[in-house]
Parts: sequence; structure tokens; C-alpha cells
Amino acid sequence: MPAALELRNVSKSFGAFHAVQGLSLSVPVGSVYGFLGPNGAGKTTSLRMILGMLLPDSGELSVLGSPSAMAVRNRVGYLPEEKGLYRKMTSAAAIAYFATLKGVACGEAHIRARKLLDRYGLGAFADKKIETLSKGMGQKVQVLSAIAHDPELVLFDEPFSGLDPVNQEVLEEILIDLKARGCTILFSTHVMAHAERLCDRLLILGGGRGLFEGTVSEARSVLPVRISLETVEPTPLLEALPGVRHLEARGEGRWQLELEPGASASAVLEACFERSLRLRRFDVREPDLHEVFVHLVGPSAREASLR
Amino acid sequence: MRNALLIAIREFLDNTKTRGFWFGILLVPLLWLLASQVPILLARKGTPTRHFALIDATAGQQLFDVVLNHLNTAESRRELFHFREWAAPRLKSGQVLPMADKATESWSRLQEDLGPHMKVDAGRFVPPAPRNRPVALPEELTWRGDLVEFEGRLRDWMREERLYKPVGVDEEVPLFAVAILQEGASSNAAPILRFWSVNQADTQLQDRIVEALSRNFRSREYSRLGMDPSAIARVEGAQAQLMSFNPRKAEGEEQVGMTDLLKQWAPSAFVYLLWIAVFSISQMLLNSLIEERSNRILEVLLSSVTPLELMAGKLVGVAAVGAVMTLAWIGSLVLMTFWTLHTAGAAALAPDSVANRLPMELITLLGDSWMLPAFGLYFLLGYLFYAAVILALGSTCNNLKEAQNFTGVIALLMMVPLVSIAFIPKDPNGPVATVLSWIPPYTPFVMMNRVAANPPLRDVIGTLVLLVLSDVAVLWACSRIFRAAVLRTGQPASLLQLFRWILGRP
Repeated sequence: MPAALELRNVSKSFGAFHAVQGLSLSVPVGSVYGFLGPNGAGKTTSLRMILGMLLPDSGELSVLGSPSAMAVRNRVGYLPEEKGLYRKMTSAAAIAYFATLKGVACGEAHIRARKLLDRYGLGAFADKKIETLSKGMGQKVQVLSAIAHDPELVLFDEPFSGLDPVNQEVLEEILIDLKARGCTILFSTHVMAHAERLCDRLLILGGGRGLFEGTVSEARSVLPVRISLETVEPTPLLEALPGVRHLEARGEGRWQLELEPGASASAVLEACFERSLRLRRFDVREPDLHEVFVHLVGPSAREASLR
Repeated sequence: MRNALLIAIREFLDNTKTRGFWFGILLVPLLWLLASQVPILLARKGTPTRHFALIDATAGQQLFDVVLNHLNTAESRRELFHFREWAAPRLKSGQVLPMADKATESWSRLQEDLGPHMKVDAGRFVPPAPRNRPVALPEELTWRGDLVEFEGRLRDWMREERLYKPVGVDEEVPLFAVAILQEGASSNAAPILRFWSVNQADTQLQDRIVEALSRNFRSREYSRLGMDPSAIARVEGAQAQLMSFNPRKAEGEEQVGMTDLLKQWAPSAFVYLLWIAVFSISQMLLNSLIEERSNRILEVLLSSVTPLELMAGKLVGVAAVGAVMTLAWIGSLVLMTFWTLHTAGAAALAPDSVANRLPMELITLLGDSWMLPAFGLYFLLGYLFYAAVILALGSTCNNLKEAQNFTGVIALLMMVPLVSIAFIPKDPNGPVATVLSWIPPYTPFVMMNRVAANPPLRDVIGTLVLLVLSDVAVLWACSRIFRAAVLRTGQPASLLQLFRWILGRP
């Protein structure tokens, strides 16, 4: 599948601080791509380089086939981490203004602005000034102003932060609609649940480096599958089960089994039956993205927070 | 280019919608109106009638009438002045006020003469309240011939700032002053005025009394010395006629007239406008940038436009605001000149009077001279210089408080041309004016002020080229700073950091 966005070995430093080091990624056209990382991991710097606001010190970029996002800026939408709009502008005027800056004709921009506001439940606030809107509404208006020009690629920096659960759902709806239209989406987030639900592929960033790149299920396979087991059988029988890498006693006949990479939980269950082990409980628990994230970035994130 | 234009339009509309813009548009003509009308209004209505007592302590007691006659004459002239001001706009079309004959004329006599020529609805002239009114002293201050004893009582009475009801006055009034006329130290010395008043700021009454006493004394002295006082008064009143010529003017037209005076001083007015315009719109630019920075709008903008487009759009948009503002000021000043003269009844004055010629001279001056094009050019170049610096420095600040540290320094630098407004027209091609002209931040203001004095071509072209080059350099350097600083957060940049940004990579 062709890539809407590609970074090859991109680095950026500010003085002695290495914000991004040798970052590579490839975002397929029409996919939803998650950009995960703790604070200070280099997400915003990477996005600013992708948008051409900063020039990389080394490495190559390709945005919609162009080495510079500025050349294709009318096909790209951007929502920064720290949201802000002109406080005295009305919602419709703000959306239309940013759409005109992306090449949409003035009249058409106003029509699109009102349609978008109607579509996502803000029609009644089209002529209200931004300063009169709640924070969540203002944020939704800003999201709409980032997509009113019908972009092929959108970059959202922490789009869910500051939104209540209801508005988070509306934003998810917007992302799903964009994807359905064939738009490529890259968004950064701290909330793993959103990434798990929405992302086709993701990149986990830590200390300015890419720590993992792949699908959500590939990310899960970074950590071993764990099985919680309750039995009265002695330890040697359990240790002999196929694919078990580590065995941890939890007391009163309860055990946690950690499988080797690629080992199957059903093969373990099958072996239990074959060996007539008396089981009272057999729970398989696949690692979630949160665990993977903490496993990968935990040390560097803690280090960074203590610096 | 399209995006820069869109940003300029938004900037223009955003600024012209603010109260500050309309306040700025109205402020200058309002100040002009206040400066021209308030003193007149105050003179007419603001100063209350001053009640004073006059005591002639001289042997012959002849000075009492001398002083009162002098004050009455001054009052009659004042009434006549107000009457002429009142009558001018009430005359029938085509009628002209006769020339003033201050010595003999009274307003009632003039009203009689003008009667048939006045409009039907002219109404009646009500003379203004007298400026000074002589009154009798209160009973407890009766003059008993002993100056020391009297002044003792007077001091105590006046300290209390009491009110009393003098004979012939319907209400209680304060005693503004007591004027005691005293013989001079010797028989040939001028008399002395002992003027008691708690108000030492308003000196018009004491000045008039001193004037009356001095004139009377001089007249008596002339007579005593065998000279004719009236002949001397006539000779002293004569004044040499001034005919001023400027050798730079065309042959046969060398005489300096009103147009020349206007040409000499109009640039100063333009410099003042230029200064206010540059100063106020630079502030607008800064406010707008700080709003975009503190509201985090810049990052969204910079995903759509280049920093250079953003900067250009902001500069053009705010320049348009400034252009509209200054044009409105110039237009309103011309209109107000017409209006003021119209309401003052200029049509009733002689056709070649100053009041009738002034508006047309002003229009001719604006239309025919280099004044307006020079103003436009220097406005643009001066504005670009300061605005670029403001934008660059503003882009390094997170809020207005941080930005004020920079703008304070810029405001101080801008005080120099403001101070120079008054002295440059007196020596427009002198060394100070010439040196200031060659300092690019001051060039627009100083050269605008010199424009009417035909400065050497070397200065005109040289300073212009230097200013344009400076603008280009400043715009380039400031765009580098702007690009590097605009997305940065944290402490404002140091001077060293600014230089690094100018020379470094974004």
C-alpha cells in the first residue's frame, strides 16, 4: 500500500537536547496511525517537522509524495496540542477562515463550515463567538476547522485531551468519518484505549526514538501472554507444560504462567487435559497496549520526568 | 500571496471592528476641536465675574476714575468682540461686517447700524457677564484712611474666604480682590498697586489696573515735561510694517504669504500625525501578535501559511488600518477647519480675510505640494521599520507584560523625533536636522518635517535609499527571528539568541 507519509531516519536537536533521533515511520494511505509517547518523547517536534514548521537536521520526509509539507499544505489538516482560536470570531467564521487559508473559496468555505457544525451538533452555535463557547465546544470547532478543507492527510496532536467522554465519542465519530472518506489520519495520544480502538498501525516513541512500529496486535505480542491458573497439582507438573517461560506462585494453589513469544495458550490448555491436571481456573490474559506502552517507555519516561 | 492577503484582510477587519480603532479615529479631531474651542468657551463662559473693591489711597484720589474708565473700556471691547462673533453668522447673505473700530464703537451702536442687514430670526444679542465688577467693601472692612490698620482687618477677612452681598449684587459673592492705589515713593515715581487676592493665578485684573496706572502716570509725566500725550500715544502706537521675502520663490512672487507659512508648519502637523499613526498601529500589531501567541493560534496558522506570508499579511493588514486612520484624521481636520470657520461666520468677513482663505489654501497645499505623497511614502517606510521590529520582538514574548519591556525601549527611541517636531522647522537644513535625517529610524519623521524647506537633493535621495535598504535589512532579520521564535515557548530570548536566530537555521 502506498504511504501517505514517510519519515526516514529523521533527527532534530535543539542545542544539546536531542528531541528526535533517527525516527522512521510509514503511514499507509487511508489508515489511522497512532503516535504514542510520554511527554517530551518528541511527538510535537516530529509533527512540526512533518508540517514543515521545523526543518530536520538530518533524514528525509515525504508528505503526500512531496519532500515538504508546505508544498502540499492545502491537502493537509492539522490540530495542534494546545488549541486556540480567535476569541472574537464566530464558530462558522473561524472554520471558514482556516478553510480559505487552505485554498477553499470564501463562499464555499462558509457553506462547508455551517454543514460541519450542523453535522456534529454545533449548528445552533454557528453565529456565536468563540469566547462564549465551552472549552469542549471550542475544541470541536477547532477540529472542524482542521478538516473543513477536506484534507487527504490529517495530523491531530492530542485531539482527545480536555474533552469529556461524550465529546470524545463525537471526536471518534469524526475520525471514523474521515477514514471512511479515505483520509489518512495520524494522531498522537496518551489514552491507549483510543489507540487500540482506532489505530490500524501505531508508533511508540520514547526519548526521541521510535521504540515500536506496527499494528496493535503486533504491539501486544511484544509482551508475553499470561495465564492465571488455580490447581492443586505440584510445581514440576506445571513447569513441564509446553511454552511456559516463567511460573510465579500466587499462594493457595494460584499460579501465573508467562508464555514464551509465539506460544499458544490453547496448546497449554490441551496439555493440561492430556496430563489430567485438576484445574479449578484457567484464565488467558493477553497484554493490552497500556502494558506494552509502560513496558517500552516506562524507564525513559521516568528518567525524563526526574530530569 | 493569496494567504498573505487573506491574513491582511482578517487583520484589517479585526482591528477596524475594535473600539480602540474608532476611539483612535475620533480622538485626534476631538483633541483638535477641544484645543481650538475649549479656550474660547472658557473665555466666554468659564471665568466667573470677578468682584473687586478699589481703594484710592492717594492724596488727590484721581486714580480711582482712571482705573475704572480703563476697565470699562476693556469691558466694552470685550462685549464688542462677542457681538461681532455673534452677528457674523446672522447677517443676511452677501452682507459683510464692517471693519472694527475698537476705539469708538460699542456693540449696541453696531447692532443699530446692522439692524436692517440681520436675518429675520437673528434674535437678540445678550452681552456676556462682565469680567470684573467693582463693588463696595463689606461694612466690617470700611476704609478709615489707615493703611496698616486696614490691611490687618483685610487679611483676616480674606483668609476666611467669606461670601457677602455687595450693594447692587443680587447674590452672595466672594470678594476676589481688593486693589489699593498708593502714591509712588517720590513725587516723580509711578503709583503703587497693592493687590490683595487669594487667587494668584488669574492676573488679568491686576494687569489691567497696572496698565491703567502706568498709562496715566506716563501721560501725566509727558504733560509735566511739556510734551503732548496724544501725539506720543500716536507715535508709540505706530508699528513698522513687515514684508517678508523668500529668495527661493519664483521671480515676482518672492513675498512670503499665508501659503508659505502653511507650507512651513504643515509638515510639523504631518509629522505629529505620522508619529501617532506609527506608534498606535505598532501597538495594534503587537496586541494582535500576542493574542495569537497566547491563544495558540499561530501554530494552526503556520500549518497553512509560511512565517513570511504570516508576517507580510499582518504588516499589510495593520498598515491598511493605519492608512485609513490617518486619512480619516486628515479628512476630518480639513472638514473641521471648514466647519469651524463656517460656524464663525467666515462668509460675512472680507473675502480676502485669513479665515476665508485658510481652508482653500490648505486644500491647495495638500493637492499641489509634495506633502501628501511624502507623507504616504514616509508613513509606509517608517511603519515597516518599526512594525517589523515590533513583530520580531513580539514573537519572542508570551504575553503583553513581557512585550512591554521591549516596547518601552522602542517608545523611548521614538521620543526623539517627537521632540524634534518643534525645532526642525526653525532650522530645517541645519546640522541637527541633517544628522537626524541620516539615522534610519528617524528619517521618516525628520525628512517629513524638512520637506517644505527644499532640503538638498543629496539628503532627500540618500536618506531615502538608506531608509529603504534599512527596511529591507530589518524585514529580513526580523522575519528570521519571527520564524525561529514564533513557536517557541519559555523565557523571552536574549540578545545573543536573537542574533543566532538571524544567522542560524530554523
